[in-house]
Amino acid sequence: MLAYIVRRLAYGFATVLGVLGVLFVLFFAVADPDEMAIRAIGERASPETYTAWKHNHGYDKPLLLNPQHSWASIGRYTDTLLVEHYERMLSFRFGRSDSDDTPIWTRIREGAGPSLSLTLPLFVLGLLVGAALSLAVAFFRDTYIDRSVLVLCMLGMSVASLIYIIAGQYVIGKLLRWFPISGFDTDPSMIGRFLAIPILIGVLAEFGGTVRLYRTVFLEEVNRDYVRTARAKGCGEIRVMIHHVLRNALLPIITNVVLAIPFLFIGSILFESFFGIPGLGALTVEAINGNDFSTLRTIVYIGALLYIVGQILTDICYSLADPRVRLGAEASG
Amino acid sequence: MLRTTSRFLIGALAFALSVVACTNDPYPGADQRRKVYYTSFNEAPKSLDPAVAYDTAAHEITGNVYGTLLEYHYLKRPYTLIPGLAKDLPKREKAADGGITYTFELRPGLLYHDDACFALNGKSADGKPLRTREVVAGDIAFELMRVADPKVASPVLRKFAAIKGFLEFSKRLRALRRASPNFAGQPAHVQYRRAGGIAGIKVDGKYMLRLSLSRPDPQLKYWFAMPFTTPVPWEAVQYYDGDEGRPHFRDHPVGTGPFRLAIYQKRLRMVLVRNKNWYGVRHPEWKAPGATYPTEGSATDRKRGRLDAAYAGRPLPFIERIELRLEKESIPAFNKFLQGYFDRSGIISESFDKIVLNDALSPEMVARGIRLEKSVQASIFYVGFNMLDPTVGAKAGDRGRKLRQAMSLAIDVREYLRLFQNGRGVVAHSPIPPGLYGYDRTYRNPYSRFDLARARKLLAEAGYPKGIDQRTGEPLKITFDTGSTSAQATLRYQYFVNSWRRIGVDVEVNATTYNQFLEKLKLGAYQIYFTGWIADFPDPENFLFLLESSSGRKASGGSNYSNFSNPRYDTLYHAMRAMENGPRRLETIREMLAIVERERPWIELFHDESYVLSHPWVKNVKTFGLSYPTLKYLDLAPQQRARLRASWNQPIRWPLWIALALLAAFIVPGIVTFFRERQ
Repeated sequence: MLAYIVRRLAYGFATVLGVLGVLFVLFFAVADPDEMAIRAIGERASPETYTAWKHNHGYDKPLLLNPQHSWASIGRYTDTLLVEHYERMLSFRFGRSDSDDTPIWTRIREGAGPSLSLTLPLFVLGLLVGAALSLAVAFFRDTYIDRSVLVLCMLGMSVASLIYIIAGQYVIGKLLRWFPISGFDTDPSMIGRFLAIPILIGVLAEFGGTVRLYRTVFLEEVNRDYVRTARAKGCGEIRVMIHHVLRNALLPIITNVVLAIPFLFIGSILFESFFGIPGLGALTVEAINGNDFSTLRTIVYIGALLYIVGQILTDICYSLADPRVRLGAEASG
Repeated sequence: MLRTTSRFLIGALAFALSVVACTNDPYPGADQRRKVYYTSFNEAPKSLDPAVAYDTAAHEITGNVYGTLLEYHYLKRPYTLIPGLAKDLPKREKAADGGITYTFELRPGLLYHDDACFALNGKSADGKPLRTREVVAGDIAFELMRVADPKVASPVLRKFAAIKGFLEFSKRLRALRRASPNFAGQPAHVQYRRAGGIAGIKVDGKYMLRLSLSRPDPQLKYWFAMPFTTPVPWEAVQYYDGDEGRPHFRDHPVGTGPFRLAIYQKRLRMVLVRNKNWYGVRHPEWKAPGATYPTEGSATDRKRGRLDAAYAGRPLPFIERIELRLEKESIPAFNKFLQGYFDRSGIISESFDKIVLNDALSPEMVARGIRLEKSVQASIFYVGFNMLDPTVGAKAGDRGRKLRQAMSLAIDVREYLRLFQNGRGVVAHSPIPPGLYGYDRTYRNPYSRFDLARARKLLAEAGYPKGIDQRTGEPLKITFDTGSTSAQATLRYQYFVNSWRRIGVDVEVNATTYNQFLEKLKLGAYQIYFTGWIADFPDPENFLFLLESSSGRKASGGSNYSNFSNPRYDTLYHAMRAMENGPRRLETIREMLAIVERERPWIELFHDESYVLSHPWVKNVKTFGLSYPTLKYLDLAPQQRARLRASWNQPIRWPLWIALALLAAFIVPGIVTFFRERQ
């Protein structure tokens, strides 16, 4: 197990290095620092201002190799944007935003809270509603309840989430006046009313896919031998569903769930933008609109990092949830 | 099964209860009875540094936080300057050497709002760190030096060029910094002192500020009604350097205005609270013009209740707090206005036809007590020709002129306004908008008419009958360079292209991003463009300079995008700029407009018109037409607001009960049958 985890981490690290390479090409080679400076401070500034800006943001070094090198000092030879990019990213020193000069860590810290306050309840609620509903549907399989839920799922899946957002704001916020149409507040007594519509809509928009997936998983288990054995032993149908089927169906659910956890931090671009929630999703959009390359680079990097961590976690959770899955040397041996 | 079902039911009930207790009020209940003004912003200002901030969004904050020496009378039109932080309007004198001086006298006893930066300046008598200090004339000189400082990168540096030694100071500072890193490492105010200051700015005692000009510049005074010339404490610039957790000065204004910025969360909210150190709050007995509600105004002002006895002559401000909330999308923001959660709003185009009928408010809006204020902005939108272009420009001589005249006649501005602006806007006949000196409402530009027959005739005279170049036999092809690729903008550009096609001129839109467009302007590689200009101050100079040759885009990177260069126009411009308003100036302006009319470097389109809606609880509303803070004049009736908000926002709950009932009716038979069949 330990050997497997170590190997998995090593693969993960190699992937991170690759991601950083792609990021470097995209953010330094394609968009060059001169252009970034012009976009950040406008085209009317003096040449000194551009130079100062590039220096302050660490963009004034050569791209790949430092031609002013002398072989006596390898340190100067590697004094380039490429080396610095790797160094900074790997040590999590993200520097300052290109557009407003605030430390990027501050922006991420400030954005993570609002993002999590939306995505965490949405995730838990979505999981509970999805699992409960699909279990119920599997229980009532082949009745009109099952079939109508499936039709609803298909309908739900074929509508774009943007429509849910606009319709939700219009119906719940404007016509029924249950909750504020948009906005956010960090005050705990106020936060609930702002998150109500996005969470409701989020659960509604997601449940189609989740219920269909989980239902298939449950139905597959329902016809297994062990279920018949359990029934033969005299277990009630509800006990069979919850104690036997649900537990055995956990494996695919875990894959689905664990992979999603890291992305909770990144937030939801669409929801945050439309509801005015100042999270990391909205920050991403702002960084794109504001030509804020350093912030964008950091968010993409963190997203990739979280994805890799998520995959490693999924693999580990697999083995914990299902003793049949053998990892590393034991599996190959 | 029963246990799970009952649990589910309890959960549903709890949710339903939370819905029953629900409210769409985005604000804490405690603020309901207070005079809090609510408005929205769509993006945090890039900078709140008064020397830099130059857009309406930033002025909404800087204009309220930073007091200015001069202000505009809230009600009087044409715009009239009144003293603000200054005791009086500046005295204009002829100096011994023939130059002109302006003298401002600052009111004594003005204080900055409380701020941690003042501890730098020592401790108060009881040993505690100082929280404020008196405003002195040197603070204004300091701010003017910041405007001149190349490192501050103020967009208005050249506007103060008439002050003796202003540009020289800028150059000297740059040279000194380059020569000595030691110098460049000093705090800004030390650098300015060591650089010797600006020759034409003399501080006399604590309160006198004397400006010596190298040439007459009657427009200069208007810049003293804008935050660019506000007093700025050197302590704030030194203290707020962005290090050790302190914000940058551009994110932490320290000023002398009626409000101070108490909360600044760029991605959520900005809160301005009343500044208790403001002279209007501390000394209402001064009855200072900038801190007292006006007692004079027009008959319309009286009719609209803007001169009620409850307000006239009363000390300002009436509002205790201003809340600006982030609203990125215009539709939810407008819906919140309709729910009463924002106090004033523009009209989004999606809802325009529901709000305004036949140029008046719809009965539904009238029933809600909402009022509409229309005002023509001091602005001009136009299509410009690049006069350096060999086909449409000056080099083509008479042919080019006639081509421009023909293209001008081919555009139906009224139709454009109807299609794209919901009819909002005044057809422009010259660059000068209504309300400004030199605007003549009877003047009709012969080329601002829509006249296809005459356009075709002129086109033929230009040597392009039906759009075919007589000399080559090839069709005339022109490109229209634009700085936006959005669908909305593309439609607008297409309108012009279709108009020109009707007389046979083939114009192709070349849409790029704004940055690429600016790059093209720099290189001079364009034929036609579309842009607008909004006034800084109410003087025709602020529009006529857009066609003066020394601000040519190619030559100096200035705002004359057309690169229009006409020696007679330039001579008249320089003469007009130095004149005070009067018959001579009017005559000069007329002659300048006649040149623009004939030469057609622009096709003047329209002066933008703004429609602002206000709820009945907002008092003393008057739209201003310039980017200028007027919130200190507004008042609110919070009781009325709370009552109306409550009546407009009763949650409608019955659809929830019906939905739950329908769901139960649908599911229960299924469950019952299922279990019956099992048994």
